[in-house]
Amino acid sequence: MKINQHTTDHTLTLVLDGELDASSSVLLDTELNQPSILENQKVLIDCQRLNYISSAGLGVFISHLQRFQDASVKLVFFNMQEKVHNVFEILGLDSLLTIVPSEAEATAI
Amino acid sequence: MQPFALLSWVGLLVCTLLYARPTLAPGVGTPPGWLLLGVQAVFAAAVFLQERARPDRLRGLDFVGLLRNLLFGPGLLATVCVLLHLIERLLKAEMPGTSPLLFTVLYTVNVGLFILFLARTNYSWRSLVLFRSSARLRRIWEWFELLLGITLLLSLVPRSLPYSMTTALLGGLAVLGVYISSHQKWVAYLNRRQKIQAVLLQSGVIVAMGVFAAYFLQTQYDPLLVAPAPQHAFLVLNAFFAAFYAFMGLMVTFFNLPTAGVFEQKREEILSLQRLTQLIQKSQTPEEVYRMLFDSAIQTVEADAAWLEVESIDGIDYSGQHYHISPEQAAAIQRLLTEYNLGHIEYLNNDLQNSAGFRSLDLPYGSLIVMPLRSSKRQYGALYMLKEQRQGFDRENLSILQTFTSQTVLSIENLQLMQASIQNQLVQEELKIASSVQDSLIPKDLPIDNWFEISSHAQAAKEVGGDFYDFLHLPGRRLAVLIGDVSGKGITAAFHVAQMKGIFHALMQENPLARNEREKFPVPSKFMAQANNALARCLEKAAFITASLYIIDYEHGGFVFARAGHCHTLYYHSIKEEVSYFHTAGLGLGIIRNDSYEKHIKNQFYDYNPGDVMVIYTDGIVEARNAAGDEYGEDRLQFMLEQTYYMDAAVIKEKILADLEEFSRGQPMHDDQTLLVIKFRASQPDIPL
Repeated sequence: MKINQHTTDHTLTLVLDGELDASSSVLLDTELNQPSILENQKVLIDCQRLNYISSAGLGVFISHLQRFQDASVKLVFFNMQEKVHNVFEILGLDSLLTIVPSEAEATAI
Repeated sequence: MQPFALLSWVGLLVCTLLYARPTLAPGVGTPPGWLLLGVQAVFAAAVFLQERARPDRLRGLDFVGLLRNLLFGPGLLATVCVLLHLIERLLKAEMPGTSPLLFTVLYTVNVGLFILFLARTNYSWRSLVLFRSSARLRRIWEWFELLLGITLLLSLVPRSLPYSMTTALLGGLAVLGVYISSHQKWVAYLNRRQKIQAVLLQSGVIVAMGVFAAYFLQTQYDPLLVAPAPQHAFLVLNAFFAAFYAFMGLMVTFFNLPTAGVFEQKREEILSLQRLTQLIQKSQTPEEVYRMLFDSAIQTVEADAAWLEVESIDGIDYSGQHYHISPEQAAAIQRLLTEYNLGHIEYLNNDLQNSAGFRSLDLPYGSLIVMPLRSSKRQYGALYMLKEQRQGFDRENLSILQTFTSQTVLSIENLQLMQASIQNQLVQEELKIASSVQDSLIPKDLPIDNWFEISSHAQAAKEVGGDFYDFLHLPGRRLAVLIGDVSGKGITAAFHVAQMKGIFHALMQENPLARNEREKFPVPSKFMAQANNALARCLEKAAFITASLYIIDYEHGGFVFARAGHCHTLYYHSIKEEVSYFHTAGLGLGIIRNDSYEKHIKNQFYDYNPGDVMVIYTDGIVEARNAAGDEYGEDRLQFMLEQTYYMDAAVIKEKILADLEEFSRGQPMHDDQTLLVIKFRASQPDIPL
């Protein structure tokens, strides 16, 4: 699992590359835990190369959901592969999170 | 033997007295010379045999103790001899007319003392000769003893043997004595101090021997001596051997003195290696092991200064040690070595002052050894040894330090392995508990009724997962079925499973205040909302639970269910002859922890028909992987039901599991797998119409 990030005018983009399982979700948690992350208006998650997400990975996003909401930071997922999207959908997260098809739509929000 | 020796000595005294003055006992007359010699031989034999029968006087490697006991025991008899002789002379000078009687008595006493001294000396020498000896040498020694014994008899058979033969026998024995005297292996086991002591003690023994020899040589021709010649051959040979062995030992020890230091150092190295090995094996912590290494290394190579650098890893609270050097000085040398690219490699420099960089540090050292501590896997640190003199270390030092450090690294790694295995055992133990808890939570008895068939399968992965399912009969021929999966693994997951089960049984109680039938039991969506509420306070932040609750009502031929983020329900509709998934929305439990959750959960009603099949499962089934990494998937599961819907519930389950097994053959099981198949029956055989 690799996590790359870049910031452009108050928007942080995290690019996830690989499988988000129990061990790599610790990495992601560390990234999302940084206090400075709440200074952004938006946090975009690029899921194009995210091949797999375990329940631990989902748990990381879930655990930060409330914090982001309270700080009115928008969390947007884009470029999600179908099988990963399926996992989000089964858990019902698609109704709770903003998941859009492309980066353009994500930035437009 | 002791009283016998004493008795024979008294006999000897009596005989000698009678011999010197036959008038003492007129009835007996002068005893013949052979009797005297015979009694003397008996006495000598008794003393020697008595010494021979004693246990080995050598205690372990205490050679000096053996020599000391010899010199300050029987060795002192020589002074007694001298003293007696002086008294006799004094008496003679005072009273010139003294009879030879006193002289004879003293002479006999001295012969006894001399024989005692010889016996003790030669049997002490036996201990030294036979120290770690071969069987051959033992046999030679026994022959030597036997032949010496025979010489006692020689003087008893006068003139029966030709002179040349006697000479040959005595000469041969002397040569044998010389040969035996060459066995001085024990000297090698002495350190320098002990060698000096041994030289002094052996000189003492030789002096004692000389005193006796001088006495007997002097008295031999004394006109006062009225006694037959003593057991000449035996005593001379024994005295010769005793003196010669002492002399040889003295020489060997003496010439070994200059090399004693080197021997001692080697011995010390071996001993400290041994000590280190033993101590290290007893050590409980890496810290102790490092300390032991450091102390032993300094002691063994006699370093003037040293420091041990240990990389702080794995939470080991030990950063090294300094000996006669300040951490700042050590750091300066270290920097210099790193500059020269010499840090952490094996390195020996015997001329430090030759290096400009080192001279600039202004430290008084001339020699340096760097010995890294490393295994094939990793670097643990390095040991630095300094000496003030130049050419202070040699290759030997390097190799002994090498042995030390590799022993240390081995012990450190052993300790780590041991700790890891203890840790592992604890985890195993925890998992065992978790899995037995989980196992106890799985219902052992499936509900039985004539309007449905049910078959279940539950398999826990190696690491305990969080799958669960449960049933509850409700009044009015209704059945509640719960299935779910707690995120996470291990004890926490098992704990949440237990909690979920408790919530299920608590909420599925009949409400006595209900106004109508419908409100007696919570509908599935209400149940999920209440469960979410209950879990909100105790689930950890990143944890969530997926679950589906089905309430099947036979009276009305229908069921209602809610899916809280759990896998979709697979269903065979017998009317339409079609297999499909119920795609309903529903959020997992614990994701939203406030009242708004209720908006995210829906009830789904369905009227079933006889022959319908419901397949409910956990993600361990559809996410099982094959060797290529593909998931089993919903499509393949659907396909399987399309092939098997007409069979019994148990058979459908078996077919699906067999297919899953084939799909994921050879792959480890990552998650728990739970599968329930419910088939609604066509008729009611027990109610005849």
